[in-house]
Amino acid sequence: MTAEVLRLERIRKSFGSVNALKNASMTLKEGEVVALVGDNGAGKSTLIKAISGVHPIDGGEIFMHGRKVAITSARDAIDLGIETIHQDTSLAPDLSIARNLFLGREPVKLSFLGVLAPLDFTELRSSASALLKRVGISKKLDADATVNTLSGGERQSIAISRAMQFAAKVIILDEPTNNLGVEETHGVLRFVKEVRAAGHTVLFITHNIHHVFEVADRIIVMRRGEIVAERTVADTDLLTVESLIMGADMSKLLRDKQVH
Amino acid sequence: MTAVAEKLEMRSERWRGLLASPQFASLAILVIVLAAFSAVNPNFLSPLNISNMMAFLPELGIMALAMTLLLTAGEFDLSVGAVFALGPVIVMLLAQTAGIDIGVALLIGLLVCIAIGAINGLIVTKIGISSFLVTLSMLLIVRGAALYITQGFPLKSWDQPGVFVTLLAGSFDLGPFKLYVSLWWFIALTLLCAYILNYAKLGNWISAIGSNRNAAVARGVPADAVKIWLFIFTSVLAGLAGMISAFRISAASPVAGTGYELEVIAMVVVGGTALTGGRGTILGTVVGAFMLRAIRNGIVLIGVPGLAFNIFVGAIILVMLVLHALIQKRSAWR
Ligand SMILES: Nc1ncnc2c1ncn2[C@@H]1O[C@H](COP(=O)(O)OP(=O)(O)OP(=O)(O)O)[C@@H](O)[C@H]1O
Ligand SMILES: [Mg+2]
Repeated sequence: MTAEVLRLERIRKSFGSVNALKNASMTLKEGEVVALVGDNGAGKSTLIKAISGVHPIDGGEIFMHGRKVAITSARDAIDLGIETIHQDTSLAPDLSIARNLFLGREPVKLSFLGVLAPLDFTELRSSASALLKRVGISKKLDADATVNTLSGGERQSIAISRAMQFAAKVIILDEPTNNLGVEETHGVLRFVKEVRAAGHTVLFITHNIHHVFEVADRIIVMRRGEIVAERTVADTDLLTVESLIMGADMSKLLRDKQVH
Repeated sequence: MTAVAEKLEMRSERWRGLLASPQFASLAILVIVLAAFSAVNPNFLSPLNISNMMAFLPELGIMALAMTLLLTAGEFDLSVGAVFALGPVIVMLLAQTAGIDIGVALLIGLLVCIAIGAINGLIVTKIGISSFLVTLSMLLIVRGAALYITQGFPLKSWDQPGVFVTLLAGSFDLGPFKLYVSLWWFIALTLLCAYILNYAKLGNWISAIGSNRNAAVARGVPADAVKIWLFIFTSVLAGLAGMISAFRISAASPVAGTGYELEVIAMVVVGGTALTGGRGTILGTVVGAFMLRAIRNGIVLIGVPGLAFNIFVGAIILVMLVLHALIQKRSAWR
């Protein structure tokens, strides 16, 4: 019996006349990997943007460890321990790896100077190198190298390790394996498993059902702004999940076809 | 043994990095340009001419510093040349026509600049219109306002010596050179901006916003606030540069600074700051400012007819930009 970390209740969000989220509710528990699946436009990204403070919600409630919280900005979410790696890349390509790792949480000296405080470069470099070593990024990466010299997979790893480094309770990944090669994809999936092993909760969005079955403990299916099904991986199979996503009974469709 | 070798390798790598950096390319070209001009006309490096160049340099240079930060954050400001004119015009009108104390007049001028920058910033960030369009409109409004309130005539500036005149446009002799206090302003602001961009937390935010705004926002960086403050900073420095100029020549003209916006942006990009944001260099901007001033001045001295000026200036800017683009490509291949 593991404790609940994040609970969403009846979250609503619309963009003009588009109801991107209608009464979406879900619960994430400690140390589990939950896959969030659904067709294009189902509302997955909108849901995680609501949790991460990018798009404040129109209605509904968010609970962290059973306590009701308000998330109105990215800062709020980060302070609550929710780290998100967005679909549209989370790194600033012109900045060094080290500067990216600490973006928004820069170690400084003379902190009373506020935004004008000087960065603590020694701390920045040593923490960055330590982190890169810890997450075991195979290739030797220079913390001073700019991110635009990295491959897509390396970038994802940097973004994920940044989320881990601040001991985030919940790490959200929006299609982290998009545009990645086979090897890099496996790197990211291995990473997700490591993150779980370290006790973090992971919410993982993907269109690749095989990945879901490789890393997830539980599957949540969204369709047209609603959560339509929840299954544990052990209790379901690929075909069932696919039909849940499409909103049609796949096996029945197949059978119908054979009759004709 | 290997540690030493590694250290040496790192050092040579750092040097190679420096040689391939955009600032260095600009610096090399600046040296070549200076050498070429002085070879054709030795008067180019005479104390009088150097003093001359140094008198103009801070006025555009100060605006270029602020523009560097703004461009690094991914925005730019076309209204600086107009603010350069409006600031002094307002101050002089208040001080002379209305007889208000010069200190109070300066304060009001400052507030007007802050308001212009804030309006630019708020519309760009909150309404989401591109800074090109917003500041282009602002250029027209501000220039129009300067023309209207002066009825198109230049105002005689404050020529009685006073603390503000000395502070902004006082001059002093340094050996054979006659220099203006504005040079100190330029140096101080250069150090401040270089510190902010390279060493301060704010600089990290500015670069991140210009490089990938969404990523910065997702990390809790207050991107809109940073941009609004940079627009304000840019307007205030444009007003300051205008005041320096007006005090120096003892006149505030409503058409002062016409075309400066492009000259300033040219200084910044020639120095190696990316027009698309994310990568800015204050050192490069200082080199760029020197370069454009030296070119404008040198072209006269080597006898290029006045009307052919812009052909050369434009060509040199193009060469610089091509050079930066090639360096950028090469480092991307590496
Ligand atoms: N900023 C926005 N403004 C207007 N409509 C939006 C906005 N963001 C999302 N939508 C709409 O909300 C709906 C859900 O979009 P969302 O991005 O959450 O889908 P998704 O499940 O992440 O899809 P995908 O798998 O393609 O990434 C879509 O109809 C989309 O057009
Ligand atoms: Mg999406």
